[in-house]
Amino acid sequence: MPNPYIPYLTRVKSVITENKVNDIKTIELEFKKEEEYKKFDYIPGQFAEISLIGKGECPIGIASSPTEEGTIKFTIKKMGTVTSGFHGSEVGDIIGVRGPCGNGWPIEDMKGKNIVVIGGGFAYSTLRSLIIYLLDERYRKDYGDITTIYGNRDSGEVLYKDLLEEWEKRDDINVVLTIDREEEGWTREVGFVATIVKKVAPSPENAVAIICGPPIMIRTAVAELVELGWKEEDLLNSLEARMKCGIGKCGRCNIGPKFICTDGPVFSLAELKKLPDEY
Amino acid sequence: MEQKILKKDEIGKLYNELASEYNFYAPIKKKGNISFEKIEKPEDILLDYLNSKIPPKSILFPQMEVLFEYTLDEKDVEITDRQDLDQKILIFGIRPCDAYSFELFANFFSSHGNWKDEIYLKKKENTTLIGIGCNTPRTTCFCTSVKGNPFNKENMDVFLTDLGEKYLVEGISDKGKEIVKKLSWLSKASDSDLKKSKELAKQAEESITSKIDSETIVKNLETSFEHPIWEEISESCIGCGSCSYMCPTCTCFDVIDETDHYNNRGRRIRIWDTCQSCLYTMETSGHNPRDTKIQRCRNRIMHKFSYYPTNYELLGCVGCGRCISVCPANNDILTILNKIEKIEKEEDEKVVA
Amino acid sequence: MTTETENKEIENSIRDNAKKLLNEKEVDVIIGYSEGTVPLTSAPIIIRKEEDVDKLIWNNLCYINLARYLAPLMPQLCNSEGNPLKIGIVSKGCVGRAVNLLAAEKQVDLESVKMIGINCNGNVNRSRIDLEIGEKEILDVSISGDDIIVKGRDWEQKFPYDQYINELCKVCQVKSPSATGKTCVGECQELDSIHDEFTDVIEYDSKSTEEKWEYIKEMLEPCTLCYSCRQACPVCYCNLCFVDQNLPVWFGKTTQLPDIIVFHLIRAFHLAGRCVACGACSSVCPVGIDLNKITRKLEEIVKKRYDFTSGLNAEIVPPMMNFSMEDTEEFMLEED
Repeated sequence: MPNPYIPYLTRVKSVITENKVNDIKTIELEFKKEEEYKKFDYIPGQFAEISLIGKGECPIGIASSPTEEGTIKFTIKKMGTVTSGFHGSEVGDIIGVRGPCGNGWPIEDMKGKNIVVIGGGFAYSTLRSLIIYLLDERYRKDYGDITTIYGNRDSGEVLYKDLLEEWEKRDDINVVLTIDREEEGWTREVGFVATIVKKVAPSPENAVAIICGPPIMIRTAVAELVELGWKEEDLLNSLEARMKCGIGKCGRCNIGPKFICTDGPVFSLAELKKLPDEY
Repeated sequence: MEQKILKKDEIGKLYNELASEYNFYAPIKKKGNISFEKIEKPEDILLDYLNSKIPPKSILFPQMEVLFEYTLDEKDVEITDRQDLDQKILIFGIRPCDAYSFELFANFFSSHGNWKDEIYLKKKENTTLIGIGCNTPRTTCFCTSVKGNPFNKENMDVFLTDLGEKYLVEGISDKGKEIVKKLSWLSKASDSDLKKSKELAKQAEESITSKIDSETIVKNLETSFEHPIWEEISESCIGCGSCSYMCPTCTCFDVIDETDHYNNRGRRIRIWDTCQSCLYTMETSGHNPRDTKIQRCRNRIMHKFSYYPTNYELLGCVGCGRCISVCPANNDILTILNKIEKIEKEEDEKVVA
Repeated sequence: MTTETENKEIENSIRDNAKKLLNEKEVDVIIGYSEGTVPLTSAPIIIRKEEDVDKLIWNNLCYINLARYLAPLMPQLCNSEGNPLKIGIVSKGCVGRAVNLLAAEKQVDLESVKMIGINCNGNVNRSRIDLEIGEKEILDVSISGDDIIVKGRDWEQKFPYDQYINELCKVCQVKSPSATGKTCVGECQELDSIHDEFTDVIEYDSKSTEEKWEYIKEMLEPCTLCYSCRQACPVCYCNLCFVDQNLPVWFGKTTQLPDIIVFHLIRAFHLAGRCVACGACSSVCPVGIDLNKITRKLEEIVKKRYDFTSGLNAEIVPPMMNFSMEDTEEFMLEED
């Protein structure tokens, strides 16, 4: 078996700025070797350890869906040394990719159910991957109604604007976008995600809800869903932690006996309640 | 299993024969401490020792290890994998607790997720262990409470027993039996030699006085995550991490890229890390799930005596007692474990009263 | 008086003062030393009740500097709102120095600290005893008369106490805390300065530059970069140590000699003028490196240049932490 710490090498194909304040960018990567791209067989919700060789590595959720063939995409927020390096990369630069890591969204178990995808801010990247997958003509019929509620601080922070506008026009997905406060020119919902969840009141009947975002958004949105009758095993979260190896070897992302990088990052609320409160 | 005898003055002969084929590691005295080093001169080998300061995990899992090397040029990167993992390693004179820790390491590095740590596992495959039983375990040893034994031969390839002026040599695994066969000049063991070795084994086991009830501890820890006892337990800890560095079963590491910009080359390395470090779980956003000493001390004990049994039905501790000898604040793990053992009992007593 | 009788006196004075402070509610908790579970150790302990004062001991193995627990203040010494409790701290001279220094650097509020001063008679040099005994297990260490008695399974060895204490303890000039009556009960003194011959640095000073470099390299070579020295040091309290910074990365963290040397030399410079000569760093080093050989040299330089000794006064900020327009700068221009 090969050395699991050696990354596949990819080249940057494009870099797009996603938000107004210019600190979130989506980079599109092309694998140098075709056979390595084939080996990188991923499902929505998984992440990869991407590196600037010489600077460092970090775990980033895969934003592209496996149905978007040819390249993979990552949406990265500029926070530290390595992410700043990614932001400064140009077309043709080499970026190392290790993965896919993690368990991903349970797309098999979700079949036949209604799906509610709730996201806040920058955490929408793996949700993008999931929704594109669900909407793909090969898989759409396997799933019930799809609703997505996506909240942001203001309209400048909304990611994937073009994609969302396309989805709004479709009749097989209900898109609800919201921002925290009134803004001139914004005709859609206004209010915190939890308030909008209460308004939309998605039914827990034969359904799965995915909630991703800042901790306070998750807590309030989950509280609303529980009020509406949702069961804890149907509420899914994707956790974050400091990671180094991403493959369950360096030991640092553990919560209790589980590792976020291999047993997660997707956990149901029921599973999280059984684990110690340290995340 | 044919038993042989190795006379104490024949160690040099054994070294000369095996060193040509293997990288030969054994305990030597270095600046006042016992440490496992690669042997150049067989006279340096010291088998009459208590235990090494730094555990022999440092041979297969060194403090600093290269994961891969790379060269950088204008718009390309070339990666070179490790080329030296096929070298044969022989560790001579290792104690049973440390030999067992190698198995725990291998178990951990091949679990979790789709990837195994090939670097460690390849090296382990090419490693042969010639161990030695502990005639006089220390007062800080408690291997018998954690499924170990001072004369545990299970995880060894060849096992030596110190009979006084000579060693009893037993080939345990197939690899080990081959080596014993190869050393055809070893004399045959007599019945009295075998009898003495069994006596020594029994004596050693009985002399271990530090005991803990690991079953009760594992059971108590299942429900003790929020227990106030952790405040008391972590009082004297200074957060230095010596316990993890000297622990033969601690596997945590950090990954760093080291680049030589002038020559456009570098390497990605891993170095030992400890969950006792305050930045261990610090995220770039500034959020730190374990930012108090209490949480970090708790994590170490839970990891060894609760998460390990949950995941692998094994205890993550071999009872070598290094953490006890090295802790500068005398935060004795046996004291901690005894406190945890007593948790339920106290509550039961309260109910009765 | 023999060392043994001195110890008994010190122990009794600690217990009496501790009892009084707890009884009169002048402190909420007391931090001191208790009996260790293995030979050559003592275990820091926090007591909250009068009936526990007999757990406090003094046995010449009290090498941890208790001021270490004051900055950053550990949660067990805070109340439920996170405010510091009133803390009594068993203080040998160097612990007192550390508390004063931390107060001068605004890390500790002396209003909430009460030193229980003792006239320290030194601590046993653990690594030296370990080295001399070799590979035999030590089962008991005690002081009898003026000797250190080390016992094993079937052997016993005696060491003269005053020769086998830490090198720092041999030249110590501040045996009890330099503090006033309000902050200190028990043995206290008021010192403005000390007279230190720095006899322990003479041998190092006599070496040539090349010899000094070889000496430092050889001394630091066994280091495993475990950072016990930094953790045990009471004046190393930075929230983000230079070691852990990554914007920029100051030095590598491997155990290759250049990385080891950079860590120790930079840390020593961060301690220049602040080190309180408690010797905790050397006592806690798992591989027995005597780091005080470097810190003492720096202390000598600071004494010569600035006539300053750290920790004698809770107001004066150490020279390297301080700047005023009147500072002379001739050292920047002169050749050394």
